Amino acid sequence: MDFNLPPEVEQMRRAVLDFAHDVVEPRAHEIEATNRVPDDLTRAAADLGLFGLSIPEEYGGLGLDMVSKCALYEALGHAHMGFGGVISAHASIGTTGLVTLGTEEQKRRFLPRMATGETIAGFAITEPTSGSDAANIRTRAERRGDVFVLSGTKHYISNAPVAGLLTVIAVTDPTQGARGMSALLVEMDTPGVRVGRIDEKMGQRGALSAEVIFEDAEIPAANLLGPLHGGYREALKILTNGRVGIAARATGSMAHLVELGVAHARTREQFGRPIADFQAVQFMLAEMQVDVVTSRATWQYVAWLVDQGRSVGMEASAAKLHATEALSRVADKAVQIAGGMGYMKDYPVERWYRDQRLLRIYEGTSEIQKVIIARSLLQ
Amino acid sequence: MKILTLIRQVPDAEARVRVTNGAVDLEGATLVMDGMDEYGVEQALRLREGGADAEIVALAVGPRRNEDALRTALAMGADRAVHVETDAVLDPISLSKVVARIAQTEGIDLVLVGGQQADWDSQALGAATAERLGWPQLTWTNGLQVQDGALTGRHDVDEGNETFTATLPAVVTTQQGLNEPRYPTLPNIMKAKKKELRKDTLDQYGVTPLVRVVGAEIQARARMNRVIDGKDPQAAAAQLLELLRNEAKVIA
Repeated sequence: MDFNLPPEVEQMRRAVLDFAHDVVEPRAHEIEATNRVPDDLTRAAADLGLFGLSIPEEYGGLGLDMVSKCALYEALGHAHMGFGGVISAHASIGTTGLVTLGTEEQKRRFLPRMATGETIAGFAITEPTSGSDAANIRTRAERRGDVFVLSGTKHYISNAPVAGLLTVIAVTDPTQGARGMSALLVEMDTPGVRVGRIDEKMGQRGALSAEVIFEDAEIPAANLLGPLHGGYREALKILTNGRVGIAARATGSMAHLVELGVAHARTREQFGRPIADFQAVQFMLAEMQVDVVTSRATWQYVAWLVDQGRSVGMEASAAKLHATEALSRVADKAVQIAGGMGYMKDYPVERWYRDQRLLRIYEGTSEIQKVIIARSLLQ
Repeated sequence: MKILTLIRQVPDAEARVRVTNGAVDLEGATLVMDGMDEYGVEQALRLREGGADAEIVALAVGPRRNEDALRTALAMGADRAVHVETDAVLDPISLSKVVARIAQTEGIDLVLVGGQQADWDSQALGAATAERLGWPQLTWTNGLQVQDGALTGRHDVDEGNETFTATLPAVVTTQQGLNEPRYPTLPNIMKAKKKELRKDTLDQYGVTPLVRVVGAEIQARARMNRVIDGKDPQAAAAQLLELLRNEAKVIA
């Protein structure tokens, strides 16, 4: 077993880390104050190549395998989570479906401008009445000649307010349940497609999510992604692999919180010495580090399995469940180590504490991951 | 036109280094391209982007890990790299022999090298290379252009700065203020993978170090922890003045 990353991947990992620390972090206050990722920061991320993270080289992306991709996701985890959220919603759920299921024509049409960040992507499955129960989708796509007529409402759609392209899951055969749902590539400037209310969230400011409303929008039949009536099931398989990316990003966020915890413990003095001298603080740091190490080992293993072409339904759920729950523990301890300062908006751990909470909910709640894991044992 | 840009690899300015058995132990330290040399790589790229028809060759002489610094240069935009791989520590005069030889065999017109190196600080490498080649040397430049086979540049002097010209071939040492080095982008890092990185051995150059390193110590700064009692402000100020004048010798 070789845990060394290829030199060019190591170099990219360092470039992303430097970008997170030197370019994104100094803008954190601005992102918090405005609830927007500033345009010049989005452009800098695009110049760096972050939007091409999961796009093959021939379409202008980086052409990475899963281990390499996840190594970059871990580095991205060190960045402001709202900023990281924009990138990962685009690169993960927004892009991988098209990369895997898209026809050559679809890939040529969309991927090059997604790789440059000119078109930001997202994925629309959730509806007001269907969250974890994704099969209860009501958005309809009715075939009429050369188009699908799309009608319905999606909500909590990451990147919707800034997206140029959404992969939308809609019912194409109402009699078949989950076997009657397809995936459509929907350009946001299509007549009949509009963004509704932008969500006010607990955290991850700058990563905008919103309602998306389809009012008899005519989507060209050529934009059907994957098999008719089978796109939903195919897309779900791809999302499964995406869970390991979330585990990697959570690992980076934890590692960042450990860095903040160590720096604070070394410099904050109480009772005449740095609080790092106290075992109570040392133990918290140690427990945080155990969560980093185990989460990293887990994503590395599962990403390696993906690269071997193995199916990772249970393993990806285990990695996501472990890393995101661990991140919550780590963020809680980071606040505790920082004491009163950790509860203040001027100090970054307060922000991480709010931002990380989402990871236990999206792309399958912790409970859904447990259902998947248990099912694999009991089947 | 061919530009040779020499690269040294040094610990990151924020790295924690240790000394083990009389030598700096770099295990676990983050190593980066020396900032002074980075200005050279960036300037070579800017000369090319400014219209010079240039091939840019990056050179490193040192241990295997130097490859990472060369890869950074390739990712920034250098065309190819030469790595003279050796674990020997070369003093600047010995190193200049390798640089001069490569400049000759590669038919180089312009050698760019950092004004000083974070790991030796001799400021001699550029000068020694120019001396061996019999080329003009322009030091500490913070502005540089090439036109019709001639260099125009600027460097700082005590009273301000001077502008100079020289014909090629030449050796130029670079410093802060020359430019703002670019970050390598992720796609360029991937593309650099396919660029040539030639490996030479030190034997090919018949160079043995003239100076041998026999030991290293970390410079530790201990505080004196002297506290002046401030109950009597007049006396405290007088005592502080006394210390600054006679002990620290920072005021007359």
